[in-house]
Amino acid sequence: MKSLLAALALTTALTAPGLAQARSVTLTTQMNRYGGDGAYLAIYVTDPSGAYAGSLWMAGTRSRYYTHLQGWYAATGGDLAQINGITGASVGAGRTLEITFDLADALFDAGYTLHIDAAVEDMRDSPDEIAVPLTTAGAATPVSGGRYIASFGYAF
Amino acid sequence: MKKTLALLVASTALTAVLALPALASSGEHLTLRERVAHWFSFFDDDDHDEHRYGERRRHHDDDDDDDDDHRGPAAAPVGTVAPPANGLFGNGTPPRVQVN
Repeated sequence: MKSLLAALALTTALTAPGLAQARSVTLTTQMNRYGGDGAYLAIYVTDPSGAYAGSLWMAGTRSRYYTHLQGWYAATGGDLAQINGITGASVGAGRTLEITFDLADALFDAGYTLHIDAAVEDMRDSPDEIAVPLTTAGAATPVSGGRYIASFGYAF
Repeated sequence: MKKTLALLVASTALTAVLALPALASSGEHLTLRERVAHWFSFFDDDDHDEHRYGERRRHHDDDDDDDDDHRGPAAAPVGTVAPPANGLFGNGTPPRVQVN
């Protein structure tokens, strides 16, 4: 019984800090009706100095197209290890992509910027179509895209 | 020799008799040249995206990425492994994704 309690206390102690330092965030990306095939989207974050910090999501599974996601590719060299476990299908025109993550609290109000590169087969690439600072206040304000993305927002 | 030649002529004639109705019915509004091309296309099992009779066979890629055998290396899809340990994710919980 004592060992069970000790194990419970230990797991709680190990889990609690993780829960306290993360928050559930939903990214919503509404695509324009651009009249083409499914869009590839690379969603990634840069740190306050503008250096690549990591990837959050890759929409589109064919690695040979990743060169068209120019900002992401320049930062990663197309390293698939950056997007293992966070890769899904490309997103069709007019559709809405919703992704919910448990993101580190340290990303918000600390100078980090979320970027989205977009590309569509046989159409013009759109690097950095979205670039928004990650702030608590910014969660309430969707931003407009340019070529393929109608709007993007994040909510807690 | 004459017997072989006769057999050859007979088989060619038989083939022509069988093929002509098929050619004639293979397209009401096609020219003879197009009908011949159409008939020979039965022997072409290539599946390239190409123009046929002025109608382009488009390859639609609307969020379906499973139809290509020549994809090369691919990242692990969501849910099959934990997200990368890049410090962005609070824990190892995989993202939940939905497309509407």
